[in-house]
Amino acid sequence: MSGAETRAAGRVVVVGGGIAGVATVAALRTGGYSGEVVLVEKAALPYDRPPLSKEYLAGTRDLSGIALQSPEWYADQRVELVGDTLAVGLRPWAPGRGGEVELADGGRLTADKIVLATGGRATRPHTPGSDSPRVRVLREAEDADALRALLIPGSRLLVVGAGLIGAEVASTARGIGCEVVLVDPLDPPSAAAVGREVASWLHGLHPANGVETLVTTLASLQDTGTGVAAQLAGEARSREFDAVLLSVGMRPDTELAHAAGLITDHGIVVDDRQVTSHPDVLAVGDCARPRGHRRSEHWDAAQHDARRAAATILEMEPPAPTAPWFWTDRYGHHVEGVGQMRNPDAETHVVVRGTIGEPPFSVFTLRRDGETHCVVGAVAVDDSKAARAARRMIDRAIEVDPADLAEPDTDLRALVRP
Amino acid sequence: MSNGGIRVASLDEIPEGEGIEISRDVTGTKDDIAILRDEQGTCWALNNTCTHETASLAEGWVEDGYVECPLHSSRFNLKTGEVQGLPATVNTVAHRVEVREGEVYLFPNEKP
Repeated sequence: MSGAETRAAGRVVVVGGGIAGVATVAALRTGGYSGEVVLVEKAALPYDRPPLSKEYLAGTRDLSGIALQSPEWYADQRVELVGDTLAVGLRPWAPGRGGEVELADGGRLTADKIVLATGGRATRPHTPGSDSPRVRVLREAEDADALRALLIPGSRLLVVGAGLIGAEVASTARGIGCEVVLVDPLDPPSAAAVGREVASWLHGLHPANGVETLVTTLASLQDTGTGVAAQLAGEARSREFDAVLLSVGMRPDTELAHAAGLITDHGIVVDDRQVTSHPDVLAVGDCARPRGHRRSEHWDAAQHDARRAAATILEMEPPAPTAPWFWTDRYGHHVEGVGQMRNPDAETHVVVRGTIGEPPFSVFTLRRDGETHCVVGAVAVDDSKAARAARRMIDRAIEVDPADLAEPDTDLRALVRP
Repeated sequence: MSNGGIRVASLDEIPEGEGIEISRDVTGTKDDIAILRDEQGTCWALNNTCTHETASLAEGWVEDGYVECPLHSSRFNLKTGEVQGLPATVNTVAHRVEVREGEVYLFPNEKP
């Protein structure tokens, strides 16, 4: 009780209103934090990013339709939303004393705990000619607006990079009626995320839906006044496009943390409770990298970071860890990945439920330990139950019989039940 | 029908931990309704369409008093319709259900 009363006088400032920041303020209130909570965000109202390459780009949902929470929610939750505002400085004080966030308008917010949820920026490779206004990246709603303005039926789009975002934009652009060329040096792309076989099938959806796919890289671009001439490696002549999307990854936004002297190394380095090298500053989501691990860059992972950070501030037990989960949508198929899909090796093997290429189907990676088998990863296409069952099997370390998993008539819920 | 309930299914048509979808043409409600049966065998009813997009909650995963949306995993309280977990931000509507002699009766727009 005394702990709760002490915390009641506090104030938490969260910098950045993507999924990680909004989930942090939500988890603080759900966990009973009674102090002040301030959320600083550069957009007027925090919005959700996954739709930016899908429904928002297609124009079927607008900015209010992708708001992470309604304006009323912030008032209900007693969260002070400081929108349309950039944080430009971070000054942690002596450990245990909190610190200060400086805003672009010169304002200062003092806090007992500061949570950095600054996300990242789309990588913009220094390809010659990439400064043309027809050459875009996709990370913010403004990026999606600018890209959509270039995508009209019949316009020619070059997508560079066939990861999740590039693939989703190719799919959305086909839906609009654009001609799309998709290039990636990997064949197939995303094999590390979904396994090679599923990756091949997924990538094959592009040509099946009228997209030209090429295994190559972009050498240079040139704005011709009416379009962009793209020179692809290994091609004799350049090709003309109306728009180019560079979707080749993101860089974590570590500027505030770096300038404040916090340890950064491919992200703001945090411990297993989301605490940075300063005990009063935490970091969550795409900007943070857990020491000894890679950054996840997924929506759900950001939400779990947020719950851990809130638990740290509330001095509560952290939530139980859960297997990583992501989804992606292309050409009407809903794809979910859970855990780790590794290529089979001496310790792992793969079980296919259904037939790869004939949705619904799912593929499980199992680890064998003597006579027992445990799921370590799964990818499911149009098979929501398989993804949800797999996540629980991993989280609860449930032993499974590979033959049961492979049989589409087996009720996966029954395998999960204690 | 004298009690106002609509018979929507036999209990044995809904396996534990699963749901079925009842058309709005039958229920007379704005949305279709998901009848969801928890692991203990109790039936609950919520508006079927996830408040986030268009997924059918009848196809969701029922566990620990919640149904998890089959698309993006927002969870809704079976008893109250309250949402827990993004991306959905809006609560859904819970309706009263009664099981008598193995038959499931729905009371649209009545609180459970």
